[in-house]
Amino acid sequence: MKKNLLPLIIFILLACFLWKTTSSKATELSKMEETESSELLEELKEGFEYSVRFQTSGTYQDVADTSQNPNNAFFRIPRYLTKLELRPDARLNFRRLELSIKPRMNLDWKAWEDGTRKGDDEFDNDLFINEWLARIRVAEDLFVSYGRENLQWGPSYLFSPSNPFFRDNGRSNPKREVPGMDFARLVWLPGTSWTVSLIANLDKGRQEYQYYEFDKTYALKLDYAGQEEYAGLILSHQESDRSRLGVFGGWTATDALLLYGEGVVSKGSNALYPKEAAGNPFSASMEATDDDDSSLKGIILAGGSYTLEMGATLTVEYVYNGQGYSDTQADAYYRLRQKASDAYALTGSIRSLSRLTLSRTADPKLRFLRRNYVMLQYNHNDIRDVLNLTFRWTQNIDDDSGQFISIVECFVGDHTQLFLVGSVNSGGRDTEFKTPLGCQCMIGLEYTF
Amino acid sequence: MFVILLSGIVFYTKPVLAEMTPKEILEKSDEARGSVKGIEWEIKLKSIENGRKQSRTLKIKARDFNSLAEFLSPPKIKGRKLLMIDRNMWFIKPGLRKPVPISPRQKLMGGASNGDIASTNYAGDYHATLVSKDTVNGELCYLLDLTAINKKVTYDRIKYWVSKKRLIGVKAEFFTVSGKMFKSATFEYGNSIPIEGKPKPFVSKMIITDVVIKENVTTMTYSKIRLKKIPDSTFNLNLLMR
Repeated sequence: MKKNLLPLIIFILLACFLWKTTSSKATELSKMEETESSELLEELKEGFEYSVRFQTSGTYQDVADTSQNPNNAFFRIPRYLTKLELRPDARLNFRRLELSIKPRMNLDWKAWEDGTRKGDDEFDNDLFINEWLARIRVAEDLFVSYGRENLQWGPSYLFSPSNPFFRDNGRSNPKREVPGMDFARLVWLPGTSWTVSLIANLDKGRQEYQYYEFDKTYALKLDYAGQEEYAGLILSHQESDRSRLGVFGGWTATDALLLYGEGVVSKGSNALYPKEAAGNPFSASMEATDDDDSSLKGIILAGGSYTLEMGATLTVEYVYNGQGYSDTQADAYYRLRQKASDAYALTGSIRSLSRLTLSRTADPKLRFLRRNYVMLQYNHNDIRDVLNLTFRWTQNIDDDSGQFISIVECFVGDHTQLFLVGSVNSGGRDTEFKTPLGCQCMIGLEYTF
Repeated sequence: MFVILLSGIVFYTKPVLAEMTPKEILEKSDEARGSVKGIEWEIKLKSIENGRKQSRTLKIKARDFNSLAEFLSPPKIKGRKLLMIDRNMWFIKPGLRKPVPISPRQKLMGGASNGDIASTNYAGDYHATLVSKDTVNGELCYLLDLTAINKKVTYDRIKYWVSKKRLIGVKAEFFTVSGKMFKSATFEYGNSIPIEGKPKPFVSKMIITDVVIKENVTTMTYSKIRLKKIPDSTFNLNLLMR
């Protein structure tokens, strides 16, 4: 159980203090002051909002046979997972001050049916703050905040290349919360259409960095919102790495058609590429070969969505990942991975090298491995006021692997929602989407109090 | 001489006072359906669409062409937000931090368009022509033909009946670009707000009826109305608490 409950304690104490101040004033002060006090109380009540959600789910995961995860010994993916989660959210908006907190209480059970942990099961419980925020309005147009946030922006579904902080935009499984990171932010609104933000990502918060160290990242973000278009420009710098320029924009072309794009560009790349290494038992290793490259490396995403008269929305996105592997690089990558995989069961230094190599092939600091992707999505919400449907197909054009995601939400009454989030991955043994899962199915129930 | 001069002034000014321009009529009627300076209200929305009943409560903050709608009930959709900045719209779901851009066509509230929940600024959004005078429920009304000045607005064309005596909109018919009427609405004014220190009637109910399927009816009941300054930060995605 995590002990980092300081934000929760601060939030409760502050709420109690404000409550106590107002209620004690009400008994002690004169009638006029009592009126003021009750107005204050009313203001506090009006500014306080909360919601509590309870979620329970069961997940089945089919571990794929891939060189990245030999005999499921590297990732040790459980076959079954069950989860109970309590998700209370609280917000207080009081004059210049805004506070919010999202504590989470989880109870997990996992069972393994594949690989080295076959037959094992494990219980775990966790209490933590996934997000919290304290924000002060310094002036009508100036805001300062610090807290644990999940900062997301940009119009795209597949991923958000313009965001230097989060790889996961939370859209592949909306039932799983993206872990928050710690940010200090200064937001200035110089005009109705413009916003300038200074953002400092100072701690990894709830994010897990399995293979690399966390580095602080700083960003200057400029937002514009016009009559039927919007855009954002993000200049970011990661300590011990490089600067990046991200951009996103969207246009409400017609009543039904949205067109949008996102991208990022940097000099060189910190991504890892397979490189021949004569002294290496695998004849190659994963190296940041473009680290000192002065040429521009970029990712471009272009998309559009069209809403039909019947209410469904069709979306298409294309991604060109300029940092992704070419065919030759991909062949070398899979060859190296296979060699590391073959040595995984051995002992001694070769096993250590195998682990190191597989940890680098597992996360070569690329959101997508190859260069060309297409995503098609069908989404229809509030069908008969009870059903939300999302079906998404993502195709890796370069290696012919694909991923199908379905998100089905069905409301039963005013409080309860049944949901199913499934994914089926297709492709050959060593392809991007066929690693590390063949398929996954999560079914569950969410109750909102 | 004085009498002649006075009668001349009376003769000259009387028609001006009596006959307002269509734009002036609209401006007066808009006062009873929102304010461009900023308004906050709660809407209870009940709709029947193809026999299915739907109920929503929303808190709206609106100013000019911008509005923020927060869903208060039922619990299953509590915390959802709809942000409209001119024609740009984002939908925010609790638990999903990333706002989803949506098109104006994506309906979220039964028969009501997303634009219906915001304040009304017909005088600024439409070019008005006085077609004739007509009666609605025995009340003499100006019948105005409104055509959209730009494509930012929810409806391309509206036929709007404004009470001659009370200067409030009592009935409307909404048309598609092709000129086909697709829904109609009636308005009630049971609320009251102070304008220049005097209580003025304010919209309390809007009943929208589908023209093709008459049984499809959406009723919006307005309450907790507050005219107030809504700051830019309310409509800023970077500052929206999710």
